[in-house]
Amino acid sequence: MADFKIKAKLKKGVVSVKAMAKHEMTTYDIAKKQTGDRENANFIFHITATVNGETVWEVSTSQFLSKNPIFKYKFQGIGKKGDHIIMTATDRKGHALKGKGKIK
Amino acid sequence: MERRKFLGMGLGALALAVVPASVQAEDWRKAKPAVWTAKTVDDAIKAMYGDVKLIESGVTISTPDVAASGGAVPINIKSDIKAKTVAVFQNADPESTVIVFDINKYSIIDFDIKAKLKSVGDPVTVTAVVEGQDGKYYIGNRTLDVALGGCEG
Repeated sequence: MADFKIKAKLKKGVVSVKAMAKHEMTTYDIAKKQTGDRENANFIFHITATVNGETVWEVSTSQFLSKNPIFKYKFQGIGKKGDHIIMTATDRKGHALKGKGKIK
Repeated sequence: MERRKFLGMGLGALALAVVPASVQAEDWRKAKPAVWTAKTVDDAIKAMYGDVKLIESGVTISTPDVAASGGAVPINIKSDIKAKTVAVFQNADPESTVIVFDINKYSIIDFDIKAKLKSVGDPVTVTAVVEGQDGKYYIGNRTLDVALGGCEG
């Protein structure tokens, strides 16, 4: 449960989240350079964040996010102090990433 | 006729995926693979949204004027438009699409990401397209310089 570092804060009804995914985010170019095969590239394809079972943030991503990419996002209308934000992701090789953070 | 039906189904599924927030939204990786291999911003927008008219307003992109390292360029996208999706593109890397956000009823469009941008010598343009719930498409651009490329490893 430690593939994501998540910090979330509730202020005036808006939850601000800062999250970091631990992932190499290898592009096709880097993979080719380092291993000679562009198929060794591996990066996150899709990330979902949920609070109390409801999706609050969802992205499809490409190779062009930085290594250990940081995301900041906001949402409102759901989530109170003490609720958990659960983030899940899948990468190109099919590995699942998971992380949990508490709204403060 | 087959094709017509297929397209219709696609649209129906899209509408379903977007309206209720609790329903799992679209995975654009699977839904539109062409978006992720498009080599130019125009092609990527076409693959994502079709040949649509883009209105240049309502979308704000913030980046530093000069990014010291292309390995992690902070990009912020803001908009007050009631949207279905937000897609971010750039013209420096070999493929154009960076990220596609699915907007749900809880979302506020104020996203920060860190992107890798290859230094190409010329200024890099970051483009964001917001697909509004009104069926219109809004576009914003931001041009910056990258001092050191981030894609070469």
